[in-house]
Amino acid sequence: MGLFDRVFRGSDEMYALAEKSVDETIKQLGSDAPVAFPNTAYFLACIYAYTGLKVTNLGELKAALTPIREMMTKEKRTQDIFTSGIATAMAAEAIEACKYAVSPTPYEEPYHGHMSDAEVRELGVPLVTQDIPGFVVMIGPAPSDEEAAKTIKSYQSKGIFVFLIGGIIDQAVRMGLNLGFPVRVVPVGPDLWSVGHVISLVVRAAMIFGNIQPNCYKEMNEYTFKRIFAFVNAYAPVDDMTVACGAGAIAMGFPVITNDTEDMWRVPKSLLIQENTEDFIETSLEARDIKIKVTDIDIPVSFSTAFEGEIIRRGNMRLEIDGSRKDCFELSRMRDAADVEDHKIELIGKDFDEFEPGSKICCGIIVEVAGKNMQTDFEPVLERKFHNYLNCAEGIMHTGQRDLIRIRVSNDAFDAGFRARHLGEILYAKVKNEYANIVDKCQVKIYTDPDEVKELRAEANKVYDYRDDRLLSLTDESVDVFYTCILCQSFSPSHVCIVTPERLGLCGAVSWLDAKATNELDPNGPCQVVTKKQVIDENLGAYADVNEAVMKYSQGALERVTLYSIMQDPMTSCGCFECICGIEPFSNGVIIVNREHTGMTPLGMTFSEMASMTGGGVQTPGFMGHGKHFISSKKFMKAEGGVQRIVWMPKALKDTVADKLNATAKELYGIDNFVDMIGDETIAEDPETLLNFLGEVGHPALGLDPMM
Amino acid sequence: MEWNYLTTVEEMEADAKKLREMGLLSGAETWEDRKQNQTPQCKFGEEGICCRICSMGPCRITPKAPRGICGADAHAIAGRNYLRFIAGGTAAHSDHGREICHTMNATERDGHYQIHDEQKLLKLAKEWGVETEGKDIYDIAHETAHVGLMEYGKPFGTLNFLKRAPEERQKLWDDLGIAPRAVDREIATAMHMTHMGNSAEAKALVTQGLRTGLADGWGGSMIGTEFSDILFGTPMPKDTEANLGVLEKDMVNIVIHGHDPAMSEMIVLASEDKDLLEYARTKGAKGINIAGLCCTANEMAMRHGVRMAGNFLQQENALLTGVVEMIAVDVQCIFPALGPLSECFHTKFITTSAIAQIPGSIYVKFEAKKAREQGRELVRMAIDNFENRDPNKIFIPKNKQTATVGYSCEAIKKQLDTVTNSHLDELDTYKPLIDCIKSGVIRGAVAIVGCNNPKVRPDYSHIEIMKKLIANDIVIVASGCSAQAAAKAGLLSKEAKEICGAGLKRVCELADIPPILHMGSCVDISRMMLLATGIAKDWGIDIPQVPVVGCAPEWMSEKAVSIANYVVATGIDTYLGIEPQVKGSSQMMELITEGTRKMVGAGYIINKDPEDLVNAMIAGIEAKRDALGI
Repeated sequence: MGLFDRVFRGSDEMYALAEKSVDETIKQLGSDAPVAFPNTAYFLACIYAYTGLKVTNLGELKAALTPIREMMTKEKRTQDIFTSGIATAMAAEAIEACKYAVSPTPYEEPYHGHMSDAEVRELGVPLVTQDIPGFVVMIGPAPSDEEAAKTIKSYQSKGIFVFLIGGIIDQAVRMGLNLGFPVRVVPVGPDLWSVGHVISLVVRAAMIFGNIQPNCYKEMNEYTFKRIFAFVNAYAPVDDMTVACGAGAIAMGFPVITNDTEDMWRVPKSLLIQENTEDFIETSLEARDIKIKVTDIDIPVSFSTAFEGEIIRRGNMRLEIDGSRKDCFELSRMRDAADVEDHKIELIGKDFDEFEPGSKICCGIIVEVAGKNMQTDFEPVLERKFHNYLNCAEGIMHTGQRDLIRIRVSNDAFDAGFRARHLGEILYAKVKNEYANIVDKCQVKIYTDPDEVKELRAEANKVYDYRDDRLLSLTDESVDVFYTCILCQSFSPSHVCIVTPERLGLCGAVSWLDAKATNELDPNGPCQVVTKKQVIDENLGAYADVNEAVMKYSQGALERVTLYSIMQDPMTSCGCFECICGIEPFSNGVIIVNREHTGMTPLGMTFSEMASMTGGGVQTPGFMGHGKHFISSKKFMKAEGGVQRIVWMPKALKDTVADKLNATAKELYGIDNFVDMIGDETIAEDPETLLNFLGEVGHPALGLDPMM
Repeated sequence: MEWNYLTTVEEMEADAKKLREMGLLSGAETWEDRKQNQTPQCKFGEEGICCRICSMGPCRITPKAPRGICGADAHAIAGRNYLRFIAGGTAAHSDHGREICHTMNATERDGHYQIHDEQKLLKLAKEWGVETEGKDIYDIAHETAHVGLMEYGKPFGTLNFLKRAPEERQKLWDDLGIAPRAVDREIATAMHMTHMGNSAEAKALVTQGLRTGLADGWGGSMIGTEFSDILFGTPMPKDTEANLGVLEKDMVNIVIHGHDPAMSEMIVLASEDKDLLEYARTKGAKGINIAGLCCTANEMAMRHGVRMAGNFLQQENALLTGVVEMIAVDVQCIFPALGPLSECFHTKFITTSAIAQIPGSIYVKFEAKKAREQGRELVRMAIDNFENRDPNKIFIPKNKQTATVGYSCEAIKKQLDTVTNSHLDELDTYKPLIDCIKSGVIRGAVAIVGCNNPKVRPDYSHIEIMKKLIANDIVIVASGCSAQAAAKAGLLSKEAKEICGAGLKRVCELADIPPILHMGSCVDISRMMLLATGIAKDWGIDIPQVPVVGCAPEWMSEKAVSIANYVVATGIDTYLGIEPQVKGSSQMMELITEGTRKMVGAGYIINKDPEDLVNAMIAGIEAKRDALGI
């Protein structure tokens, strides 16, 4: 049977299943029963993306089956297998939606099911930095449990985000693999139709980051083809429905690699038959043009961004460097070239195997670098990355910074031979590799001797204090230039960030110093100097130079932005922002929601819904994405009166920013404990209750002019 | 964003109309005026039943006079005329090939002509049994040129290149007795057979037609292509532009026209000489602009990116712009009308070959040993003519399109290599294309070739047929004036993927190619034979089984009929938009459509309506797919 016939038969089968599911669920719950996936503003995202239909109840889902059916055309042309394939994924989503109509949590461990908008947005930064170089969807059981585990782990070690569907999940569970979104191995669901959740994630990424509008078939597929580096591994036997889903994947630009030879047809770079499943990985990466950045690090455990989210529980812990109880710190210092011996890793004190299992130990880590282009300003830039670097080692968990670090070493890592100097190996390799233009030589000293660490910690604190003073002196007024950041343009092609000392990139990952270092590293790279000589309006933060830069680097998509206003030409966002703020008209204020908060806000919108108002490089006055640290900035919506406009934030976010925000409010308006005047979800989730609260505490926003 | 940058035939016609109006002021006439004067055309000639082969005639066949004076009937007369037509075409292509052999024989390390693709030369030398070990490359070139020249007149055996064909084909040609001997021998045989008092059997004449055609495609033309690549470089993808908009108002415009690249290569080289550029500036020009017409344009575009002013029926339009300082021509498809037309303007009309001597031209006989200086002399002459332009006669149409050209077989394979997977596939094969066809992502391939013909709306058939084919996921290879029609329309641009079916579009994106691959000039149709052969061999089937067909929607020349014969003899169905002039013989009509199919597995499918023709092609391709069970 020809490839086309298999696709058409498979799409018919999936459609029949969808129709049956929808009919049965209607019979059970009625046409008016609501249907929705949790924590998304994009309805049933596949159906929404490809038809524009906003399905909210079962009756509407039933009606949506008609356009799905209409996409399953059957001429002998590639267009027809493409639309049929995509319609198959939409039918799969319909089946999954029925499950969520019956129960809000249809999936139990280990299955993950639907992925939230927040999870999609979380992928933004790692996608840009290529920490996640691609996605693989693995379908079916692999030839053996061992091979399944080996292949998954190998993808993981390359940073590839893994989605598992079907029997391979059982294999992963049997092999005791650590699964879940944080370790980037998501067991989606047991049945093929759970693939709808993966496609849902992909189309939401396109709508969020690429500003692709619903019901734009061509634009959607062009975006996914050019910017989402996904592929499929389908293990034999591959049935017709899987072939149909594969056609949808290929339509979106995602090659399918299979070991099934029965009735299978090769299509270059699209449908590849690799009979040797052990070669799936290399074959797949080449098919999707994914190049893995290799950093050779001499350590006995795997190293990959996939392990960044790994959590090491106390029970599985060999020892802990615990800054909350012991003297600990990490520090990067610039030195003269003569004082640095490249790749020297020194341990001063006992090694890990000389401590009792379960010990909490003192530890100081000093990374000393020398380089012609190195500046002391870049010390904190390097140091802040230690967290990411050390976390990528399998079996090592790092949290905190400066002298409040905590590093756990798992039993497995210890048994594999991980010792103190390996921390140095990791830091050495990554610093040298990622800051090649700045760092010519690098050496690492690791201290575990308590007396020595105590002494050095005091020294380190002097350095931290010096840096804090330096950072405080860095204001938008005190510097001559700002920087662009267009890292995100690989998937959000018309977005440009303007990074200033008092306004870091909205992803929270790029400060003015980071941008400066990036510019130094790669003068033609994503961070370009923007002068600020031609002031248009200082209060708004409007500069002709900035407008020119934005115009140039957005390829004309944007003409103007202001730095300090959310009402007039607010800065755009790619979609991976940490927080979104939006105006709350009754109080003349704004509310701010962070990505992690899934609950309702007084605007009647969740984070996802608010976030969907902007992103993709689009200006939406009244809504703005930003980083957490920007909240306490004196430049935060300065044009509209500054932080005194903030009337509501989730409690967790309030706690995070409280100290600095209180300080800012005190300095700007003389208000003490300003954060206590800000509402949160424990106080109000609707505008009336919030307004009453604001009145009671005498919130300053109430006395300000309306913003609109 | 929808891609809608095609230049329409209507826009091209509007440009031509404006140029004609401008021409009237200068007293110029064009083919359109003369076509009017020639209408109605002679019905007997049209149907192929006027015999002028001996001076007892002319004899014409009518119901009342079914035989000529000698007794030849309509079938004999139409058959003889048809075979002579083929012989004329084979002679033209093959003599072009022979000239290139002579040019190769004249190469020297420090000479006017040099070897540019040594690897291809060494490969050919080995294929032909020329000793290469320890020899100077120029000695090898000369010896290989000798072997090539002998292909035209060797007394025994058949043509060397036939061995490149699939074995099934070679055997079939032997069995049918159509494996061509020396090129000249087949032309002579054709002329002899059609002399008064010889063959009167239509089938015998058609059979010799296939053999004479094969002597062109697998002989003279293939030699022309191979040797041109060795001499001037094997084409690789190049970006260029097409249509009259490439003529520059502020520059010295030299238009090169014809088929043999040897002379044009020298003009292009000279146009880059610093002293001549400087000289042009002293004359008030901003530079020297070379633009091509017809197949010279194809040859120069695919090797140097020289821009293409247009195809066959555009040759007069180029002069009508009033900005052409010189039109230098070599051989074939040159209107004698250029003589009087150039006199209406300041344009110098230069003929360079003893083969094409035309009144109203300056004849500068090109010689391999003086070519470089001659090229410089011509460029200097053009520069001197810049100041003679009449500003009142200037009109340059704006339309031009970008095009990516130069897909030799080598280039196609290289491009296909980019979509292979090193863990699965071998390099340097057509297998990626075959996989696309087998799976159905691409339905098949069509080779669209041939001229313009005022019998139909110029370029319209080419363009409409191409658009419909690519929309149906059928990839196209094009050459000659057909390729230029595509280029003018914008169809050779990579952006044209936007009007393809989803399958072909994806293939274009992945392989980074336009949907229509420009394979060169009309002698380069020999490349297409090698392409079809390569596909058949890599697939493991015979050529007639491959879902590949040929099409000449607007053909007019004898060369085109010669081509059609070797394409059919190679096993590729050929769709014609103009009827061969044999309609007066029912036997001949049957022979060229179904008769050859019984012999070689392919024949003509003729339809004057481009829409019907393209639908027939699509159906033909789908039928071949069905037969293969794919």
